[in-house]
Amino acid sequence: MREAFSRCLVQAAKANARLMLLTGDHGYALFDDFRKECGSQYLNAGVAEQNMVGVAAGLAKVGFYPVVYGLSSFVPIRVLEQIKMDLCYEGLSALLIGDGAGVVYSYLGASHQSTEDIAALRSLPNVSIYSPADATEMQWCFSDAIESRRTCYLRMGKADLGRVHLHEAVSPAPLATPVRVLGDAGDEIAFIATGAMVKTAMILAQRWQGVSVWSIPRLKPLDPDEIDRCISGSRKIVTFEEHSIHGGLGSIVAERLAVCDAARDATLFSAGIDNRFSDLCGSYDYLMDRHGLSAEKLQTRLRAFLGDEDRSI
Amino acid sequence: MSNRFDPAALRRTILEMAFAGSTVHIVCAFSIVEILAVLYRNHLRLGDGTPRAEGRDYLVLSKGHGVMAQYACMRELGWLNDNDIRNYFGNGTILKGLSDAHVPGLEVTSGSLGHGLSVGVGMALGAKRKGSGQRCYAIVGDGEMNEGAVWEAILFAAHFKLDNLTLIVDENGFQAMGATHDILELGDLVQKLTAFGFDSIGVDGHDELRLDHALTRTNELSNGRPKAIVAKTIKGKGVSFMENKNSWHYTRLTKESYADALAEINAARATNGAWSS
Repeated sequence: MREAFSRCLVQAAKANARLMLLTGDHGYALFDDFRKECGSQYLNAGVAEQNMVGVAAGLAKVGFYPVVYGLSSFVPIRVLEQIKMDLCYEGLSALLIGDGAGVVYSYLGASHQSTEDIAALRSLPNVSIYSPADATEMQWCFSDAIESRRTCYLRMGKADLGRVHLHEAVSPAPLATPVRVLGDAGDEIAFIATGAMVKTAMILAQRWQGVSVWSIPRLKPLDPDEIDRCISGSRKIVTFEEHSIHGGLGSIVAERLAVCDAARDATLFSAGIDNRFSDLCGSYDYLMDRHGLSAEKLQTRLRAFLGDEDRSI
Repeated sequence: MSNRFDPAALRRTILEMAFAGSTVHIVCAFSIVEILAVLYRNHLRLGDGTPRAEGRDYLVLSKGHGVMAQYACMRELGWLNDNDIRNYFGNGTILKGLSDAHVPGLEVTSGSLGHGLSVGVGMALGAKRKGSGQRCYAIVGDGEMNEGAVWEAILFAAHFKLDNLTLIVDENGFQAMGATHDILELGDLVQKLTAFGFDSIGVDGHDELRLDHALTRTNELSNGRPKAIVAKTIKGKGVSFMENKNSWHYTRLTKESYADALAEINAARATNGAWSS
């Protein structure tokens, strides 16, 4: 997915001489191609994220298209107010990249982990939120963001989990719909996932019968009718995200269920980070397991919710 | 030559607005009146004269609390009319108590301090990259210099050689809760900014002639160094019972204090006249 990101970025910069990449002294090696091919459009703003977003806003005001890169614990979390006032309030066109979202930086601890970024941005007007699951979705998200001319946040989580979409599927324009990965809208169980957790949802879907899997690469704006459509036949719904269960995908679906006639009888299980920090150090897989988000732990947790349809028993 | 942007007239507008809207921050506006007068009169190139003219110089009011002084200038430019002034803070109106870029003529949304300078730096950088010759003037309060983001912007401006940026510090010595040296000592800002790579100069921020010379001199230097003018000002300048009385940061005008303030400004205007170019 990171290669796809780098490719998209270089391509976009070549097509638009006014595209400026700003990094807060992060992205070692990630921008090698960009610097080689579009060096004059690269700018390291130093370890000064607040100023970097303000500068990006100033550049956007005078006709440039800023792409602002940071780790998601800094962009958007450290600079939330700059995003709110300098970019969103002004309705400026800019792309913010938050890399390493979730618990990717498992060994570094809470400062470099970000499980609140979607929640923080969802409550801001005038911002789009993207959470691609693989290289294909990265391409969709990147071009959708650029074409939208809005302030956009692209959340880049665990990037080496392989492909979700096996062939280069055509992007569902304008990305307002959940993307069907497995099964059908009529299935009794709906798994709705975003980002790195789509892969886990796909693995778990094999262990029950009648499961549809949906990926949501763009969490905001998201057409509520489209959510209704993919859960209309479902009795049980599970959301999967490497993010807090408060304010992210689980909340988006729960909010919809609360007002949606079609799925009134459906119940929801929201799988995500359960309102706590990662207290211990360890590998990514270890931390995901500790948060109950490994496929194994989730299979156990879901057994209680989904009942005896578990094929593996 | 007519005395456009006469400081006394600007202060009268500020008082008129503040009384109409029953607003605070009068003294924050008074300290930057001469700075804005000189900028608008002699330095800002406004293109075709409309608020969003292509190729205009940018005036970034990072200390958004002084926005009434800028409204007063915008009235002189015909960008605001008498109704806008009289209906200040009326329900459904657009002029707020802090700078808001949705208002044509205001470049940035500020008031949350420490934002405007960075945005101004981005505008200066953009102008430089385009080779448009546009300048950016950013007015920052000394209280605002408490914000870390301001110093990030200062480092950035020097590193990227933004000699089309002029930082003007309104050094009135006060911030919301008291004197800056009691709250968070800033030390010698001319020295500090020089050390950070700016061409820096200290001036009396109410002396229009000296302000004008300082701006002219710094603008002439295309030497790869951003410019800083540390303007020593008086918070509440122009009305004796407000000058250096920090309680006026949050005090509203009464009918009596409004009349007294107006009388004092009118009297000073009659005796002194005002400097004009």
